[in-house]
Amino acid sequence: MTVRTALLDRTVGQAMSSLSAVAKHGLGDPALAELVMIRASQLNHCAFCLDMHLTIARKHGVSEAQLDLLAAWEEAEGVFDERERAALALTEAVTVLTDGFVPDEVYAKAAAHFDDVRLAHLVGLIVAINNWNRVMVGRRIPPGGYTP
Amino acid sequence: MTTDQTIQYAPEHTQRLDWATLAPDVFKAMVRLDAAARKGVEPKLLELVKIRASQINHCALCLDMHSKDALAAGESVERIIQLSAWEESEHFYTEKELAALELTEAVTVLTDGFVPDEVYAKAAKHFEEAELAQLIAAITVINAWNRFGVACRRVPGHYQPGQHA
Repeated sequence: MTVRTALLDRTVGQAMSSLSAVAKHGLGDPALAELVMIRASQLNHCAFCLDMHLTIARKHGVSEAQLDLLAAWEEAEGVFDERERAALALTEAVTVLTDGFVPDEVYAKAAAHFDDVRLAHLVGLIVAINNWNRVMVGRRIPPGGYTP
Repeated sequence: MTTDQTIQYAPEHTQRLDWATLAPDVFKAMVRLDAAARKGVEPKLLELVKIRASQINHCALCLDMHSKDALAAGESVERIIQLSAWEESEHFYTEKELAALELTEAVTVLTDGFVPDEVYAKAAKHFEEAELAQLIAAITVINAWNRFGVACRRVPGHYQPGQHA
C-alpha cells in the first residue's frame, strides 16, 4: 500500500484528544464507551482504531462474546442489554448520516435510557470516534501503533 | 429564514437536544478543535468543503450557516449551487478546489470504503503535506458539526453571517 505522510498538527491532535476525553468522562461508562467506539470504527473501516479500542475494551473487561458479536448486535439480543442496544443503534445512525438523518425511534430509545446530559455526551463520543476514524483512514495509519 | 409572508410554510420543528448547553465541556472542545483545524486552510476553500460535506451528511443547520458565510465572504451563488454536482461543473472551480472536494467526499463517506489512492494522490499534488493534514482535519471537523446538527436536529434558518466568527 502507498505510504501517506501527512502528519496531524499537534494542536489538532490535542483538541481531538480532549474532545474524546470529556465526552467519555461525561458518559460515565467506560465499557459502553468502548463498544460505541469499536462499532463506529467497524462501520468506518478504521483499522488503527479497531486495534486500539479492542485492546482497551479487553482491559476494561468487556466480554469476548460482546466483542465477537458486536458487528451483529441486532441479532445477538442475549449478549447486549437494552441500554447498550439503544447506544449502539444511535451510534450507527449518527455514523451513517449519508443514508439519511437519525430516525425518531432511534433517538427516542436512546433518550429513554440516558438522561439529557449523558445523551449529549454520548453523541459527543460518537462524533469524537468518527473524528479519529476520519483522520486515521484519511492518512492510512496502520493498525498496531497503539500501546496501552 | 427569508419568507414571503403571503405563503403558508410548514411549521418549524424544535431541536431535540440542546447539546452545547447540556455538555459545555464537549462544546468547548469542539470550538477549540475547529479553531485548530481551520489554520492554514484558505477561507474560501474551507467554506466550499464545509458546504459539500454538509450536503452529503444532510445537515440543514450547517448548510444554512455555511452558505450564508460563503455568500457574505463574496463567494458566487453559482459556485455554491453547483457544488452538489461539481463533477459535472468542473469549470466553475480550480483544479486545487476540485482535488479538495474529491478528498472531502472520500473522507466523509468512509462507510463505503476508505480513501482511494488516486484521490489522496491528487490532493497531495495540490497541497503541501502540512496543508493537506489541515485539510483532512477541516473535513473531519465539519463532519463532526454535521453529526451534532443532525443527531440533535438543530433548526436551520436563523443564522446571521459571521455570527460565530
